[in-house]
Amino acid sequence: MTENIVQYSPRGRARAIKGFLRQFLSHGGAQVGLVCLVFFLIVATMPNMLVGPLQTAINATGDFLVPPSGQHLLGTDEVGRDVLNLVVHGARISLTIALLATVISLVVGTTVGMTSGYFGGWVDTWLMRITDFFFVMPSFVLALVITPVVLEVMGRGGDILGFRPSLFVIIVVIGMTSWSFVARIVRSQTLSLKERTFIDRARVVGSSNFGIMVRHILPNLVPQIAANGALVVAGAIYIETSLSFLGLGDPLQPSWGTLLSLAQRAGAASAGAWWYLGAPGVCALTVSLSFVLIGNALDDTFNPRRRAIP
Amino acid sequence: MRDTADILRLENLQVHFPIQGGLFDRVLGRPSGAVRAVDGIDLTIGRGEIVALVGESGSGKTTVGRVITKLAQPTGGNLLFDGRDMSSERGASPLRPYRRRVQMIFQDAYQALNPRHTVFDIVAEPLRSLRLVENDAQLTERVSEALTGAGLNPPGDFFARFPHELSGGQRQRVVIAGALAVKPELIVADEPVSMLDVSIRAQILQVLVDLRDKHNMALLFITHDLPLAWLIADRIAVLYLGKLVEIGSADDITYNPRHPYTVALLNATPQIGGDADRGKLPALQGEVPSAARVPKGCRFHPRCPLAFDRCRQEEPPANEVGPRHMSACWLAK
Repeated sequence: MTENIVQYSPRGRARAIKGFLRQFLSHGGAQVGLVCLVFFLIVATMPNMLVGPLQTAINATGDFLVPPSGQHLLGTDEVGRDVLNLVVHGARISLTIALLATVISLVVGTTVGMTSGYFGGWVDTWLMRITDFFFVMPSFVLALVITPVVLEVMGRGGDILGFRPSLFVIIVVIGMTSWSFVARIVRSQTLSLKERTFIDRARVVGSSNFGIMVRHILPNLVPQIAANGALVVAGAIYIETSLSFLGLGDPLQPSWGTLLSLAQRAGAASAGAWWYLGAPGVCALTVSLSFVLIGNALDDTFNPRRRAIP
Repeated sequence: MRDTADILRLENLQVHFPIQGGLFDRVLGRPSGAVRAVDGIDLTIGRGEIVALVGESGSGKTTVGRVITKLAQPTGGNLLFDGRDMSSERGASPLRPYRRRVQMIFQDAYQALNPRHTVFDIVAEPLRSLRLVENDAQLTERVSEALTGAGLNPPGDFFARFPHELSGGQRQRVVIAGALAVKPELIVADEPVSMLDVSIRAQILQVLVDLRDKHNMALLFITHDLPLAWLIADRIAVLYLGKLVEIGSADDITYNPRHPYTVALLNATPQIGGDADRGKLPALQGEVPSAARVPKGCRFHPRCPLAFDRCRQEEPPANEVGPRHMSACWLAK
């Protein structure tokens, strides 16, 4: 039924989106963040075309721990694999884990936060106690505990949606431990939105609670969700890198954290192999930073009151 | 036997908001009071009649409007719509038939419109959620019709606009169009023009009066402005601290007020070129008392220039002072 009705909206909506983009793109932080991010996204989407298939100890092309040279732009690791090859393949794993974990975290956080704030009363009390539980739980410790247990139960073989179980578990663990932050922000915003007159009007014109949440509250939460979502991605990359560094990653699908872990174990730091530690480290740092920059730029663009503050 | 001439009848309607005492109060067993926002009012609105509900801020007039539109739940009394008691109905789907017949116009048109919806979506919302249309063609037709009825011409130009792209008057027209789209039998208008420029007010009021004339819609016009009420309404009800002090025809209230509060309100109205000395403003003494501590006896007595002993002790009943003219004052007989 909505097909035909929506046809009137795009004109107005397109104009609003265009204005928003113009403002967003004029933000210095957003430009830097977007350029970095687009670069890494391109790299992550076609690793095989850029550097060939993922190298293993069997098809390694170089000597052991060779410094960067024309043949190996980022040197090689302790079994002779090209570090550039590993880092490019790692981008795909790292970004996918971070983005999927963020999707889980945003969906759960928004649903819980909006339900809690909108209905109030005992619904609010109980949902917020659960949220508090996850909020005070050091996500890192929880992840450390859950990951090996699940791996033990499910085993390390097979794959789910193209991911090996260990990666999938990391995705779920990061998602489940980072949603409470989103839920709190969404709840507080919902509390203020539901007192607005247009919610009263929606009720008078016969909208149901579900309709009010989906059509009136959710669209007004998009700025907060988008801005904080970018920060959640940055956090997810950090947690993923840390977990993998501690050995919870999957060596057959190495992310940047896994590479750091391998470098650490191979004694890259003491051997002076800076490229081996540096390449994945700088990548993780750059991607996190660009998400933070984009998040801040989104926040500034959506919130005119913050724009005055440099 | 039910009176079919009245579309809405309020019988001893009460809205008391409990005051939650602190832990300390509860331990000491102090009685927790209540804010008596609406404290027993009787009012009828006939089909196609315009009734103005006049009162100062804090008198409970907005709460009455919210009860009628089912945004607030009454704590006592009856809300009879077309002879049916609606006071305990709640929830979106049970109220759907009621909402098809009773709509509301809000005071602050900017706040009442979702900033992320287009005008089309705003006006279409009641038609969709109250299931009043079967297909898109019908929807577009009803939306156009409503926008035209609210004075937005040509309607197609406004479909894709957002509220922030409209002027204050246009926004209020969109709110009116939203209520109008349903073709209700009763509209509650809560201070519909108080946020607008004086030059726009007359146009908006004309739209409301036209609605009554064309579609025989009843209108409850909530305002603090007595001259405005006289201009638009058939009957005026004056509300003070949650209770009606005087009800009568617009002319009776304006030219033959029988309650000291109504007189005070009329005196507080500045008149251009009037007899009153310029710069000297007649004013009611004091503030409206808190609805949590309603004075004993007549609730107006602390501010009443004519108050005597009986007023401080006993609450006056609604006295019939003329045909369809009621005043709650010991002096009105």
